[in-house]
Order: sequence, then C-alpha cells, then structure tokens
Amino acid sequence: MSQVVYRRRRGVEAFMLVLAVGIGLGGYLLTGLDTQAQVPQEWPWALAIFGGLALAAHIAVRVRIPYADPLILPTVVLLNGLGLAMIHRLDLGDSQAPHSAELQLTWMAVAVAVFCLVVFLLPDHKVLHRYPYILFLVGLVTLMLPLVPGLGLEKYGARIWIKVWHYTFQPAEVAKIVLAVAFAAYLVDKREVLALAGGRFLGIDLPRPRDLGPILVMWLASMGVLVFQKDLGTSLLFFGLFVVMLYIATERPSWPILGVLLFVGGATAAYPFFAHVQTRVQSWLDPFADYDRNYQIIQAQFGMAWGGLFGTGWGLGRPNLTPLPKTDFIGAAIGEELGVVGLSAVMMLYAVLATRGLRAALGSRDPFGKLLASGLSFVFAIQVFAILGGVTRLLPLTGLTTPFMSQGGSSLVANWALTGLLMIVTHHARKPVAEHAPGGVVASLADDSTQLIDVEGAAA
Amino acid sequence: MSELIVLGLKLGFLALLWLFILITGNVIRTDMFGRRVSPAELTAQTKPRKARRSARKLPHTLNVTHGSKAGTVLELGGGLLIGRGAECQLVLDDDYVSTRHARIVAADGGYSVEDMGSTNGTFVNNSRVSQPTPVVAGDTLRIGRTLMKLEK
Repeated sequence: MSQVVYRRRRGVEAFMLVLAVGIGLGGYLLTGLDTQAQVPQEWPWALAIFGGLALAAHIAVRVRIPYADPLILPTVVLLNGLGLAMIHRLDLGDSQAPHSAELQLTWMAVAVAVFCLVVFLLPDHKVLHRYPYILFLVGLVTLMLPLVPGLGLEKYGARIWIKVWHYTFQPAEVAKIVLAVAFAAYLVDKREVLALAGGRFLGIDLPRPRDLGPILVMWLASMGVLVFQKDLGTSLLFFGLFVVMLYIATERPSWPILGVLLFVGGATAAYPFFAHVQTRVQSWLDPFADYDRNYQIIQAQFGMAWGGLFGTGWGLGRPNLTPLPKTDFIGAAIGEELGVVGLSAVMMLYAVLATRGLRAALGSRDPFGKLLASGLSFVFAIQVFAILGGVTRLLPLTGLTTPFMSQGGSSLVANWALTGLLMIVTHHARKPVAEHAPGGVVASLADDSTQLIDVEGAAA
Repeated sequence: MSELIVLGLKLGFLALLWLFILITGNVIRTDMFGRRVSPAELTAQTKPRKARRSARKLPHTLNVTHGSKAGTVLELGGGLLIGRGAECQLVLDDDYVSTRHARIVAADGGYSVEDMGSTNGTFVNNSRVSQPTPVVAGDTLRIGRTLMKLEK
C-alpha cells in the first residue's frame, strides 16, 4: 500500500513571495515615476518594511506549519501590497495629502504579528471544536454590537461600525471568523440528524421542523442585520455562510433551496419599509436617475470606463473623484488605473485564495477541518463577490471591505488572522500521516471498557 | 518621461501581475497529486532519528504507572515476560490480559517488545505491535488496563 505525500514547497512560497513583494513595490515605484517622474526617495524603507513583514510571516510558516499551502501567503502579500500601493497613490491625489498609506503599513505590521501569534499559539485547529455554542454567542453578539446605542455608529446610511474613543471598527470582520468556526463545530456534531431525518416533498428532502431551529435563528439574525444595520452585504455574508456550510455538512440540496427562499422572501417583504435599502437598489438599477444622490457609484463607473482595457496607469487616472476611494471603492480605483486586465487579475487572486482553501477542505482528514476550511474560504469569496459586485454594479452596493486591500486596520488584522487559521488547516491536511503517530502520548484507559474479554485466556 | 516608456511600464506591470497568476496555476498543477511514496520510505525517513535517540536513551527499568500494579518498578535485565500466568515476571491480574501476553527481550544492544499472540494486543506508544518493536526510554507500553513506561 502506498500513499500520497505532499511536498512542503516552502521554496516555491519564498520565490512567489519575492515576486509578490516586487509587484507591490512596483506599483509604488510606478506611481512615483508617473506622477513626479522620479522614484520616491523612501523606497528602500518601503521595500525593507514590506519585504521584512513578508519574510517574518514566511519564517513563522516555515517553523510552525511547514506543510501549509504554498500559495496562500504570497497571494495575500500581493493583495496587501497592491492595496498599499493604491492607498499611497490615492494619498498623493488627495488635496489634503494625508499619510494613510504609512498608517496602513503600520496596521499590516500588526496584522502580520497577529498572523504569527495565531500560527505559534494554535497548535491545531481542532481545539476550536470544543466551544460551538460559546463561539456562536460571541459571534452573534459581536455582529450585533453596532446596534448598541452610544457604541454603534451610522455612516453613509448603514450601521455596521462601532466607535471606541475616536477609532472606528467593523465588528463584522471579527464576527465572520468566529461564526465560521462556530458553525463548523456545531455542524460536525449535528450533520447526521440534519441530513437524515425528515420527509420528502416535491422531490426534495426536507428536514424535520425541530431541526430547523438553528437555521431560523440564523435567518432572524441576518434579517435583523438587514433591518437594523441596513446593510445587505453583511446580511448576505452571514446567512450565505451558514447556508453553504449546512449544505457542505449535509450534502442535501434542500438546505440552499430553503435558504435562498427564506432570504429572498424576507428581503422582499422588508424592502418596502426601508428607504435606505430602496436607495441602494435604485442606485444599482438606474444610477443616472438621480445624479447627485448616486454621485459615488456614477463616478466609479466613469473611472472604470476611462480606464478601459489596460487602465490609465499608476497615478495617471483620477480615482480621487470617487468619494471613499480608499475603502469601499478601492476596487474601482484599481479598475481605473489597471484596467479590466488588472482588476480581473485581482479577482483571480481572490479566486486562488478561495480555491486553495476549498482544496484544503477536500484534502483534510477530519470533518471539522473540512468544514472550517470550506467555511473560511467561502466567507472570503462571498465578501469579495459582494463588494466587487457592488463596485462594478453587478449587485446593489454594500459597505463591506475589500479584504486585504481596503484601508482599515480591523479588516486587515481580521483577514490576516483568518489566513493564519486557514493555513493551519492546510498544514494538517497536507502533512504526511506517518507524522501523525503519537510519540509517547499516554492513552486514556477509559477506552478499555468496550474491549472484548479474552474468554480463552480466562479458561486457561 | 516619454509616453512610450509610461505605456511600456504599465503593460509590463500588468504582465508581471498575470505572470504571478500563471505561476500560481503551475504550482496548483504540480501540487495536484502530491508524490506517491511507499510506507517503507515513510518509515525510512523517520528511522535515522529514532536510531540516534536510542543510542542515548537505552531503557533499564519498567515502571508501572497505571493499573492494579501501579508503582511497581522492574529491572529489565535479560528480558521480561508479562501476562496473567504465574510464570511471568510481571503478573497482571486483569481480564484483558492473556496468560502469556507479551515479552520484552534484549536485542542488539537495546530492548524490543514482542506480542505473544495476545487477544487484546500490546500497544507501544498507542499503536498495536504486530512484530518485535524496538523501544527506547520514554516509550509507553499498554497491556490491558495497565500502563507502563520504560525508563533509564
């Protein structure tokens, strides 16, 4: 009997990291060349800090999780680098000349430190399996934090921020990780009963009414987000995550069908009562009906139209005309300056991240790891879909961040922590089984009560 | 700067970006199936480490840590017979232990554990042994409800 062993491929990762750091730095240098006809004087510092952070993350991976997927880290570093370069470019275009790129680089340092902490302190993702209900509660409470009076902050019509001191924060970024872990832990225990009990109706298997409890709680929670926080993207993110993980755990198509019906039904029923949601939908379907109100989305469309196939080039477009170009509309800024070719490359990078996570889910040996990896990759994919879809007017616009690229510390830290968790799962999925053999671990003697009694020995 | 250079740099940057994605695709392709190895090769990779360890950590005593005989310490000497029968050096009165269950024998400078056809098996470091298995100090040995540890 032979078995398949994955190579560690840390060398490949190092090579790709060099390339990723080079491309990120390239964007920064090109901005300087195009706008001021010279490279920025601080470029060795930018290279040292950015490259150093990538190196630190690489060393942490080499030491602690040598079998982790070789593509995840370089892709993340590249997206982060493109985001930094674009934020720097937008700083230059801003008449107030803020230093948000430097601040973002500082946040990247914090995020990489959190990544290393996750990698070093969490030996195995399986320890997270133990606390499904606590994590579920923590996740829901975190998600609902913006609704607390005095703490929550309403910006641009949506209430998905909290403000502590003079510092704003999107709790949904943390909640998505916590809830993905909680769903995985819950579904590993409950998937048999969710999959097998129930009757058939119109050719689809329906679950038992009493097993519908969790999906109803989650539906209520996401409807609550939609109604009170007024953000379709966040609502879609969490409900979508839950339904997809139910589907993966039970392999029954009735769950997504039921989920889509519930979500569409709920959203349609709520639609006439919420002016904010109506505004978003109208600016999606017909932005030019009200030029002043839909100024942002219209500017983004103009920018991308001007960028065309290959873009205007770094620093040569005018992405600053769009309000909030560094956070919600960084995708539009990329589309304007790098064109369709650049924006679709960015989308490919997100696709690579999601597929590597799903690949780890396929290869993972324990069901909790499978569910966790697929949940984390899916939450990532749906977030990118919601925000880039919103920016390009495929979907109504939402206030989610573009992972790794948007300006904002909480989002960056949370997404790097998510990366760490995902890489731990890939490490355990890919490492050879022989290394699983416990060395000197003491067995629990409680297992022995179920063994067969040696009848022959007793007779002798 | 001339517009031609700007255009060249712009296209070069995009080409580099897509080169990254192409390399990604190649890594995914080469990573698809992993490398097929036989179990012998797998154990061969871990063998040298064990050999080095055994040179330093020769066991001398068998220390019973859990079970009815907990606290007993036996010299390994020339070998030990473990079982429920009276002729054994370590007698374990346990329904899960066979009359002649397992033995520890001196073999090429060290010791190895050998199962003697017991019904419920002999476990070294939690894995059931099917052939004489070399042991070093620090390894655990489980027979029925008794847990033993080999020590220097």
